[in-house]
Amino acid sequence: MGFGEYPPEYNAKIHGPYDPARYYGKADIPFGQVKLGELGSWVGRRNMSGIPGAVSRAFWRWNHKYMLPKKTGFAPFAQLMVGCMIVFYSINYGKMVHHRNHKYHW
Amino acid sequence: MTVSPEGLQEVRPLVLVRPTSTSAVQRAEQRDEANFPRPVRPVEPGKVRLGFVPEEWFQFLYPKTGVTGPYVLGLGLTTFLCSKEIYVMEHEYYTGISILLMVVYAVKKFGPVIGQTLDKKIEDIEQSWRDYREGSIIQVKESMEKEKEAQLSAKGQDMLFDAKRENVALQLEAAYRERLARVHSEVKKRLDYQLEVANVKTRLQQKHMVDWIVKNVKGSITPAQEAATLKQCMADLKALAPKA
Repeated sequence: MGFGEYPPEYNAKIHGPYDPARYYGKADIPFGQVKLGELGSWVGRRNMSGIPGAVSRAFWRWNHKYMLPKKTGFAPFAQLMVGCMIVFYSINYGKMVHHRNHKYHW
Repeated sequence: MTVSPEGLQEVRPLVLVRPTSTSAVQRAEQRDEANFPRPVRPVEPGKVRLGFVPEEWFQFLYPKTGVTGPYVLGLGLTTFLCSKEIYVMEHEYYTGISILLMVVYAVKKFGPVIGQTLDKKIEDIEQSWRDYREGSIIQVKESMEKEKEAQLSAKGQDMLFDAKRENVALQLEAAYRERLARVHSEVKKRLDYQLEVANVKTRLQQKHMVDWIVKNVKGSITPAQEAATLKQCMADLKALAPKA
């Protein structure tokens, strides 16, 4: 699975044009429908080397939904701003703790 | 062209969904059109509330908590974070508030105008693509018509060539016949010449022979013979005269 290559399960003749937001492997039970007893086996079926692919697919799904339609508004930029705010606040939390205004909280 | 998430986007049924069948991959038999439909670019983005919260999160909580659920969740979460000072409201926070206010004001005031100008520009670009496509089709059709006319005139050229060829054949025939006639007349002239030469020769021979005979005969007449003949003639004449 190299960078810039198609996933090995993608076959142009069956699937048509490549869609980076779709998973072309074998479909598994979605996490929302997994029964509690099957949770262990479901987690066992997960594959660590597919994480970059999953991140890429998630990014493309967000892109397709908010950034690439013809008449986008301000929403994707607002989401980007809020996302960046959360990430940078959590990274700098150690510093922020020292800027508290009160010592004891309820 | 990008994907349209199942059922959530509405796509304008315009030229945008134009199917093409030019690639062999599209027409393969194993093409699974049902599970892997051809992706389409959506026109409207996903719905958001408050500018950035996706609508799906509100719908997810609606069955359990109703309409106010997500707002109460948001309020409660922010109260908890601020009161326990997990979210510290230090000086940068107030800067953030001011910037947020300015951003919201700018978006509300200039957003629609900018959106409309940009949409119009996109529409102009797409219209130019469509015009180019239509124009190319019309051009190709016109050149097809011109090609047909050229084919017809080419057929006319064929007939022209045939006529010219006939012309040349006629000229060749005429030249041939003229030369034939000339050959005939030349041969006749030569034969006439030979004839004349033979005639002249015969005539000269005859004349010469006659002259030679006459000369010889005249030379062989002795004077005595001549006097005797003359006398005989005179006697005959005298004999004849009284009879008349």
